[in-house]
This record gives sequence, structure tokens and C-alpha cells, in this order.
Amino acid sequence: MARTVEFTDTEFMIAQGARLLEDGKTFFVGWGIPQIVAILAQKLYVPNVVQLFEFGAVGPQSVLPFVRGTMGGPQNTYRSLQWLNMNWAFSYSASGYMDYGMLGALQVDPYGNINSTYLGGTFEKPERRFAGSGGGNQVASHCWRTVIIIKHEGRRFVPKVEFVTSPGYLTGPGAREKAGLPKNTGPYRVVTSKALFGFDESTREMTLLSVLRGLSPEDVIADMAFRPIVPKEVGEIHPPTADELRLLREEIDPSRIIIRGEMMSASA
Amino acid sequence: MSRIRKEGKVEFRFEHPDEFREFVRESKSRKPTDKLCAASDAVSRLVKDGDYIVYDFSSLTRGPQALIREVIRQKRKDLWIGAEFTLHESALLVGAGCASRIDVGFLGYGNYIGQAVCDGRVKVYEWTNGGLALRILAGARGVPFLPTRDLLGSDNLAVSAAKVFEDPYTGMPVCLVPALNPDVAFIHVHQADVYGDARIFGTNLFALEAAMASHRVIVSAEEIVAPDEFRKDPMRTTIPYFLVDAVVHAPFGAYPGAMPARYEIDLEHVDRLNAIRSEEQMRNYLHENVYGVADHEEFLDKRVGAARMKELRSRATIIEGYR
Repeated sequence: MARTVEFTDTEFMIAQGARLLEDGKTFFVGWGIPQIVAILAQKLYVPNVVQLFEFGAVGPQSVLPFVRGTMGGPQNTYRSLQWLNMNWAFSYSASGYMDYGMLGALQVDPYGNINSTYLGGTFEKPERRFAGSGGGNQVASHCWRTVIIIKHEGRRFVPKVEFVTSPGYLTGPGAREKAGLPKNTGPYRVVTSKALFGFDESTREMTLLSVLRGLSPEDVIADMAFRPIVPKEVGEIHPPTADELRLLREEIDPSRIIIRGEMMSASA
Repeated sequence: MSRIRKEGKVEFRFEHPDEFREFVRESKSRKPTDKLCAASDAVSRLVKDGDYIVYDFSSLTRGPQALIREVIRQKRKDLWIGAEFTLHESALLVGAGCASRIDVGFLGYGNYIGQAVCDGRVKVYEWTNGGLALRILAGARGVPFLPTRDLLGSDNLAVSAAKVFEDPYTGMPVCLVPALNPDVAFIHVHQADVYGDARIFGTNLFALEAAMASHRVIVSAEEIVAPDEFRKDPMRTTIPYFLVDAVVHAPFGAYPGAMPARYEIDLEHVDRLNAIRSEEQMRNYLHENVYGVADHEEFLDKRVGAARMKELRSRATIIEGYR
């Protein structure tokens, strides 16, 4: 009989993110969830991934457990290859050395454009104001492949984002290059708490690749304000494994600073 | 014939590079004089109403928090802050009525600052972290602008004063960001000497660029060391003395943030900052921690306490690499 595994939506997104990275590649790490993705991936799947932080830590091997409020502190710059500053950090991405970048988002649209600046109203007079770009714009502009991590909620998947904080494929094929962004870059995957998306090679529209075991493509699409491309074959995503959950809960984030969230379940 | 394809139209701080060079020639002393002074003295002499201020690094890590509190204590008005990582500085400076404009960056978490933006109490312009760092580098390089291949295609461009220009070498659109020469830079460091030579251990945002690009530079330091220490080990000098106008000895100057390898972040105090929502809470916080104490020393003595500081020091166990 199938055993059921319970996990938070955040744990599921982190596990998916960690499985996406390739060993021996470079990874531009944003603050929060991407930090935990990088640590889990390095422990479990890609020991030779090179992390880069915008505040100038090159190749750190973060101290465990994860500590809240560490940003450029000893914990997440531990045992780096090199300590620099921001202009040099973004030089690594601008010159083509960063393979993957990972960003969270308030809103995302079918072309993978990210809004993290405001919701409602106008830029000058927003209804709700958030942190904005930080270094996200540079990560999404420069990295070869950008991975977006976002909770699967209808209000977050919109036909058009209210503000393009970090560029996806903008208005479609060729738009990034036309705008002057580096060639052959752009969003690669969207990791959600229900599914994994890619982008169609020809139209650059968000395409459903796989869904969490036990969910149907319709379950996933019902929670989106636009309809992504749904191919005939949609894969199944394994829920977080025992190893992933043990590492996350016992070694990486025992205080549940990042991994907390809504409980979900799936058959193991 | 204009090759401008697109441009943001918001107000921005800019100074002709030759004007800045003249300022450096006339007003920045190259003499190694004793610049050690109290924070109150440095701020009253070097920070004026309407100034543009930048700082290194963040609220959580090696930020110049003692200097920020002193600016608030002295009630500067209409400041414009270039804020890469602004988690608490912006909230406190806006809440205290000191700042009216913020170039970001990352407009930190917490409800207070977000609400202040929604209420129109502070203007925010979007340069992004990379854009601000590049503006300061341009200011340090003495050029009017530097090109970059980001901001392009995004809506930040329209709410900055970046311009998209046709690159004469490739014909591609390229983004130009204007040089930034701030009035004042605040940089908190591990070690300094009385002349202003300064060392940071660990990473930084743009400490040297900001010191070079700014009109006035205040260094606050955990420790004052002998000038000869710098001559013995020049690879470790972050900022040389002739960029610096004042040196403030400020142990725990990054509190409640962390100082790498010296003391850890005080998360309880940070949580109190994050919890500020209303004007009343802001007033209470400022009264207790800024207006109600004479200076940084009294703040540490009466509001933090020796036991707390000892504990934060004991938690800074990672020292490898920081020397």
C-alpha cells in the first residue's frame, strides 16, 4: 500500500529547485528560499556547484544550520573561494560565467516576467509596496538560465505583470535581444508548490512540464489566471524524498525559518 | 541626432565630473591629520540638510547604525538616501522625518516603510542594486556614466533616470546609468587609524568606490589601530586615509546588525524594528533608542547592556578568513 508523505509547500519548492541544478555549474543565489535550495542541492546532488552572492561571496559553503538574518555574514560567506564586492559580483554574471540564477516573485506572467515591486494602484501610489528588484534585475538579465520560485496561487500567475521588475521573455520571441539583453538568456523553469513549468522554444510561453504526484494538469491550471501551454505528455514530480526532508528539517533549517508553510501530502 | 531610444525621467542626483574633480582638488586634504572625533561632532560638521547619503553594507551586516542613529538624533531633514540594502535605515530615517527620497536597491521588509511609500510620505526611485553600484563606480571613475546590459526591458528604467542608447560599437541598445557622487558616505569598518586608513574584513558592497565618489566620508570603526599597521600589510587596506574626513571610534557600531567575526546580530532587537507599523510605535522606538540617549555609548550602556554585548560577541564563532 502506498505510503503518504507530508511536507510544506516551501519544502516541495526547495526540493524541486535543488533537483534542477547541475553539478559543476555556477549558481547566482538570491536571498531566502534560493539560499536553502543552494545548500540542499550542494549537500545532496551537486557538490561542485559554485554559489555566488551579489554582495561578493564567490563559492561559499554555507554553515549549517541556516541562521536568520545572515546576509554577507560569516555563515553564508563561509569557506568562500573569494571575497569581493557588488560590482565584481555582477561582473561574473554580466560576462557569462553564471549558469543559473534563482529568484522569488510576487507575480509572474506567461513570458516569465517577474514583478516584485508593488501590487495595485500605480508605481507612485501603490496599494501595497514590496522590496523591488534588489539584484534580481541583474540576475534575470545576465544569467544563462533563470529559475523562478513562486507559490502556486491564482493571483500570482497573471496575464500581464503590473510592473516588470526582472525581465522574462518580455513580449515574446526575440524581445529580450531587441531590448539589448544578453543573447540566449532568459527564464528556464518556474518551480511552484504544485508544478514545474518551462518555456516553449518557439513562442516563449510558459509550458506545463510536470505536476506533483496525485495532481492533474487541470488541478494546476485551475489555480492560474492565464492558461499555460499544456502538452499531451505531462510528467509527474516525486514529492520531497526522505533524504531531502531529513536534511532540510534536521540539518539545514531546524528552526523552520524558511521551510515553514502550508502542509501538503502526496504518496511517497 | 539623438541616439537615445528610451529614458527614465525622474529626478536624480548628478554632478559634472569636472566639478567633482575640482572639489577633490580644492577640498579633500591629503595631509595625514588626526581625524578621530565623536559621532556627534562628525555628523554635525559633515552632514547637512538635503544631503545625499550612501552607506556600506546593510542593516543586518556591518551597517553604520551608530552613525544613522546620530543623524536621526540631530534631526537632519530632506535627506536623499542611496540604499542598496535598506531594511531598517530607511524606515527609521523616514519615520524620524529625516529622509524624503530613496534610490533603491532593495526596499527592505517590514510594514512601516512599505506603508510610507503607499502614503506618499517618501519618494522611491528604482535603480536596482547593480545599477546603484555601477553609478557609484562611475562616480569614482570620474566618468559621466557607465553602460550596462541590465535594466533593459524592465519597468525600473522608467522610474529611474537611466537611458537606453545605441552602442556605437555593436549597434545594440545599451543602458547608461549616470555617475553618482553622494554628499556623504558612511562606512563602518573593523579597523581604522586616526588618519582614516580603514580595513574591512569580509565582503562589501562598494566601500572603496563610495569613499572615492563621495564629497565627505565618515568612517566608524570597531577598533582604532596604529597607522603603521597599514604599512605593514597594504593588501588589507580597504580605504586609504586621504579619502576620509572623520573617524569615529564606535564599538558595536553595527548594532543591532552583525559585525563579521566580532559580534552576531541581535535578532530580538531586529524583530522589534520589524514589528514597527504605526507612527506611535515608531515614536516610541525612536524615543527609547535614539532621542532618549545622549549618544552611542549611552545607548550601548543603557539600552543594550554589557551582558547582551558579551553574549553577542561570544556567538561570533566563525573567525576563519577575517583578519
